[in-house]
Amino acid sequence: MTRSILTVAAVLSAGGTGLAAGYAPAVGTRHPDFTLPSIADGKPVSLSDFRGKKVLLIQFASW
Amino acid sequence: MPVWHASTRKLVTDGKLVVLGVTQEQHSERCRLFAQWKGFDWPILHDPINVLGSSAVPIVLALDEHGIVRSTRPNPKTIAADFVDETFRDDATNKPVAPTPAHPPKFDELRAAAERGKTVAVWRQHADALALWGGEKRLADAVAAYREAVRLDPKDGPAWFRLGVCLRARSETIARESDDFRTAVASWGTALDLDPNQYIWRRRIQQYGPRLDKPYPFYDWVPDAEAAIRKRGETPVALPVRPDGSEIASPTKAFPATKDNPTNPDPNGKVNRDKGSVTCEVVVVPAAVKAGESARVHLTFRLAPKTADHWNNEAESLRVWVDPTEGIAVSDRQVEAEKPKAATSAETRTVGFEVQVPKAATGTVRVPVYALYHLCDDAGGTCRFVRLDATVEVRVK
Repeated sequence: MTRSILTVAAVLSAGGTGLAAGYAPAVGTRHPDFTLPSIADGKPVSLSDFRGKKVLLIQFASW
Repeated sequence: MPVWHASTRKLVTDGKLVVLGVTQEQHSERCRLFAQWKGFDWPILHDPINVLGSSAVPIVLALDEHGIVRSTRPNPKTIAADFVDETFRDDATNKPVAPTPAHPPKFDELRAAAERGKTVAVWRQHADALALWGGEKRLADAVAAYREAVRLDPKDGPAWFRLGVCLRARSETIARESDDFRTAVASWGTALDLDPNQYIWRRRIQQYGPRLDKPYPFYDWVPDAEAAIRKRGETPVALPVRPDGSEIASPTKAFPATKDNPTNPDPNGKVNRDKGSVTCEVVVVPAAVKAGESARVHLTFRLAPKTADHWNNEAESLRVWVDPTEGIAVSDRQVEAEKPKAATSAETRTVGFEVQVPKAATGTVRVPVYALYHLCDDAGGTCRFVRLDATVEVRVK
């Protein structure tokens, strides 16, 4: 959404359990894995489920 | 995101690319409705407590076949040539780690580890598992675990934010405790004070906050989405909690002046007081404001659990009279709740308005309000018109 904030701070604040303390997805580094519920059915989906495929990871909100 | 959806459709259909969404919203159903409206057919995951630790959205990353970040600013027009058609080597310096938060969660083991470890990290890990995978029934446990985390480290912003998420979620269930929404707002405020640059946290407060502090109306698109989906012959995703009031209000650059000059409906207080049939919850968002700033007031009216009354919809709906003292500006002097078409009902009723505290204000600014409403007694069929008084307290930083 164009009205969302576009800026991603260079150093992000302390992240979630097990993720890097600062969420700073730098080019050339492996993205930390995570498991979250699908909005479709609540079932768990991990980023690593897609290993071997190219992934466009989009964090967004409907607003 | 629609631009990405359009530009990647063929790549996804051809099996060359996976689009994986993560939404940071409080309510997953609202994102499901948005995805249905826009035709997003890729998987979307729900991260209401922001375990990813992102500070703002949107974030778009191109990850190669090894999970390595190849671009933090991919271009929709050139992604096929720049990224999808390339072959990458596994040359990352960091190794893969186990998925986290782990699934299926072992709640008992996490709890035992938290009790042994006595650190904010292990309590947060336990709480995160409960919040993400425990469902409504474990919200109280998640709240308790986050409270222990912030007790151990009162400066742990993520734990404060996530505590607020769980309290707000519980406030929308029948297991709610009377102060859940207010405490959620206070928790979010504490988190944001610890890290003012965290826009995911800031947005959660703004969602329920005053128009002067809104970047945009958060969920004004919902009716359009539902109408468009119905027009296609589909059934829109049902929203268990419909956005209203502050969640659909448009931002404003100036505090709105009171439009009309309504008359105080009960200036001498002669209307009989309600004797416990209805409760009124008062929540001010944000929890504290600077002098001269505004706050959104949420008034929630519920029929008391053991009452034998219901709303009488054949009479006028519940209305609230706002009676500020001089120097305090309010957006409305009188606000009225919506009522269903049925002759009687027992739903929760909400109204909202905004208060701008004086520029010289300190301490707590108080605004008296009262509600007038019609009730009927289920047992005897007797109907009555009653009044309930409350005080809105806006804390000034």
